[in-house]
Amino acid sequence: MKNLLIKEFKLSINPFFLILPILVGALILIPQWPYFFALMYFGFITVPNVFSVNNTYGDIQFSALLPIRKRDIVKARFLSIIILEIIHILFAIVFAIINVKLYKTGNFLLDTNYAFFGFGFAMYGVFNLAFFPRFYKTAHKYGLATILGSITFLLFAGGVETLILTVDPLKKVLDGFPSDLTWQFVTLGAGIIIFMITTHIAFKISASRFERVDL
Amino acid sequence: MHNLTVYTVYVIYIQYAQKEVSMNILNVNGLCKEYEKFQLKDVSFSLDSGYIMGFIGSNGAGKTTTLKSIMNVVKPSKGDVSIFGKNFIENEIELKQDIAYMSGDFNHYSKKKLRVITDVVKRFYRDWSDELYSELINRFDLDEEKRVSELSQGMKVKYALALALSHKAKLIILDEPTTGLDPVARDDLLELFQELIEEGNRSILFSTHITTDLEKCADYITYIRGGVIIESMSKDDLLAEYRIVKGAMDQIIDFKRKVISYRETSFGITGLIKTKDLPVNSKVETETPTIEDIMIYYAKEERK
Repeated sequence: MKNLLIKEFKLSINPFFLILPILVGALILIPQWPYFFALMYFGFITVPNVFSVNNTYGDIQFSALLPIRKRDIVKARFLSIIILEIIHILFAIVFAIINVKLYKTGNFLLDTNYAFFGFGFAMYGVFNLAFFPRFYKTAHKYGLATILGSITFLLFAGGVETLILTVDPLKKVLDGFPSDLTWQFVTLGAGIIIFMITTHIAFKISASRFERVDL
Repeated sequence: MHNLTVYTVYVIYIQYAQKEVSMNILNVNGLCKEYEKFQLKDVSFSLDSGYIMGFIGSNGAGKTTTLKSIMNVVKPSKGDVSIFGKNFIENEIELKQDIAYMSGDFNHYSKKKLRVITDVVKRFYRDWSDELYSELINRFDLDEEKRVSELSQGMKVKYALALALSHKAKLIILDEPTTGLDPVARDDLLELFQELIEEGNRSILFSTHITTDLEKCADYITYIRGGVIIESMSKDDLLAEYRIVKGAMDQIIDFKRKVISYRETSFGITGLIKTKDLPVNSKVETETPTIEDIMIYYAKEERK
């Protein structure tokens, strides 16, 4: 798997997409903004670009001839995408800390707090579940998969923001930085667990679909 | 009596030695694959080590589908492939260590430098030799600092071969490697193919629709038409298997239905027939066909 990951980052994924998390993470410095967008740009920019360039490069066809199992190609791509998602979240955390230090008043939508990143993880998880199984049905049609992933992002973030905005008990414990952060930590933990479970399910479905694809 | 025993032992030894030298390297058995408008039907052939097999057929005949099915890149619906005597599906990772497959020329990662691609590829092969790779790069005049897109088509094929030989592939499968090459580059490549199999432990299977490629270097020929293997045998046997017949229509009327196909000319008709179907006392003019003749007359039969 190490060799395949080296292949992913040396041949398949442009180093620009390792810098992009800094650029889009910096969007968290915009005052009064729906900050989920800073995480969503991964799905809007990185994913379609990586997969379209890979189509042009014949990346999957190249990988399929290496002495590896077919499902290892999917595993390597999942791992590299997970790495990129975590980098996006890590840089978002850096800018979130700056945001909190910089602006004394809270955000009109969800603040960049622990709960926000819990939701961020969960959002990436459901994106993975929407995007990958659809993509690996053909292993080349990334357009519809990207649209599905993007809609999932918007529905998830829109749903969370609406809930926090309209349900007072939720707003009380999950927005801002209340003295008791228990529910925010629970949300963060739950988000990470949802990310792991949905991504695992997405991998299982994608790998079995990819086994049946003729390249 | 003594001489006869020695002779018998000698014959057995020779047979054994030949068996050892020319081991069955590839065995394709009953491959089938169904698409909406095309079917690969019961494709079977085999290739021994130390030989070049040309895989011919017109465009859309099923050459690429067959080669991809051999490599399990396309999943066949029926049939199996064994390589070096082992079932390919069951031993895919291990067997791929000794196989190189190239579709067309090397067209992956066009904006990457050869050095970067090689650095990735070599990690996957246990028998990779850096010395051999350097030797081949020098021999083929390849500049590792060049990007794939900067290479000519011939150089791309050579780069793919350099990768294949550096991991010591014993079976090299190439899908139309000569298509689009100029005559000099093509000749150069075909000579290289011959050189590569000289050691006797390596085989090349390459598809083409350029029949002159085969006349230059193929030992065996497998001919596919409409997803069905028409012939798979040595080049000499294939050419001996058929005859071109020329004559007036009334001269061939007796065995006309055995003629695979024919065309009418101002002098009468010219057609292709299997040698065994040619009547012994026939007075028609016959000649040995070229591989191209065989392909063309079979294609005419298909259109009938």
